[in-house]
Amino acid sequence: MTHAPSERRPAWLNVLAALAVLGLAAGAWTGLVTSPPDVNQGELIRIMYAHVSVAWISFLATGVAAIAGMIFLWRGARLADVVSVAAAEAALLFGALTIIGGMTYSRPTLNTFWTWDAKLTLTALMVALLVGVFVVRGLIDDPQRRGRVSAVILIVVLASLPLNYLAAEWFRTLHPAKAIDLTGGGVTMDPIMLQILLLNVVAAALIFGWLMAERIRIGLREARALEAREARERDREDEVVRVR
Amino acid sequence: MTDLKALLAIAGKDFRSEARSRAATVATVFFSSVTLVILAFALGRDAELMRGAMPGALWVALAFSGVISAAQSWQGDLQEGALDQLLTLPFPRAALFLGKLLANWLSMTLLGALLLPVAVAFFGADVAAAAVPTLLVTIALGTLGFAVIATFYAALTANLQARESLLPVLMFPVVVPILLAAVRATEAAVGSGDIALARSWIELLAGFDLVYLVVTSAIFHVVVEE
Repeated sequence: MTHAPSERRPAWLNVLAALAVLGLAAGAWTGLVTSPPDVNQGELIRIMYAHVSVAWISFLATGVAAIAGMIFLWRGARLADVVSVAAAEAALLFGALTIIGGMTYSRPTLNTFWTWDAKLTLTALMVALLVGVFVVRGLIDDPQRRGRVSAVILIVVLASLPLNYLAAEWFRTLHPAKAIDLTGGGVTMDPIMLQILLLNVVAAALIFGWLMAERIRIGLREARALEAREARERDREDEVVRVR
Repeated sequence: MTDLKALLAIAGKDFRSEARSRAATVATVFFSSVTLVILAFALGRDAELMRGAMPGALWVALAFSGVISAAQSWQGDLQEGALDQLLTLPFPRAALFLGKLLANWLSMTLLGALLLPVAVAFFGADVAAAAVPTLLVTIALGTLGFAVIATFYAALTANLQARESLLPVLMFPVVVPILLAAVRATEAAVGSGDIALARSWIELLAGFDLVYLVVTSAIFHVVVEE
């Protein structure tokens, strides 16, 4: 009943945390000191390293949350729901950071805090959708139903992201042309800058992984505590019946 | 074939109960007209601005009243355990969803067709006769996408607290692409009447509708599982 040996904080979690902090430090150092200033944007390019890496991870996290939700619908394993919540919370954090970073970045470069640019609009909608997931989760008591409903919403959120992106992109866009063309058009970024960006992406991914691991651990303990309490309440009901 | 019959029976049931109570019809018709009036007042007296704002105003009014009718469409089923009875019948859950969707979609399309001349008159927009079919197709496809998401989310939130305020908060970010494409198609069709541009937005709208329809129909059975 009390803390089993497996409940002790595993060593690899501390290693992961140390790696994440080291990655963050390395990313910040290379971005702020090593990177040369950009031809067009000058020193402002340093914001890009933090902003783009955080933005990529926010979408990755939303994808992980939706896929974990699908696995929960398919197998009904509580672990999948715990993973889904952990990823959705991380996605919310990284999404909020993306919006803050995007506003910081667009004020000096585009001379406005908010542009109805496709990517910024998409991120804002994603954050709104993720907030919706947590609002609904808070209203449902039954863990099974809560997991199902939040999985369903996350699947619809995932399906809506490309549509939101397309619509916002074609509606009006102010974003500077994509430097990395994912469709295979080649890389126009300076190789050193690209390496620094990728280092920052790795750092953000490590932080994401670390937060996920901590949150999954908490989620599992939460689930176990809930189960234990339910079992105790069942026992008590049994006793009452017996006394009668 | 029997699934299709079940679907039509569900839609017919919703239409009959609406024909008897007329609660949703009265609410949505008046609410959407009032929304148009408020928007017209809020935009002021600049005739040029009003004319340009007509497509947006039309879709705002349709979206707001669409939320109301979608939220109401499941309320009747939740009373007296009617939904539980429906779920015991041997047809796929998707047929239940598509039946409710059909009823919601048709009533929203009718409302849109009714609201279009009102919005044109209120906002002083010019509509060429040749653009009317394009506008009606835009309304049909825009309300389809909206009704898909609205019906789905209304089922999801039907037995939650504060569902009236929760439903628009949850569904509006999802219907943004539908509304954007519908507004742009309407914009292209009124005024100068660039039908080719409107058609490209309509094609995009149809694609969005299809994606949402497939995704929601595929996972709807999870929503009503008890």
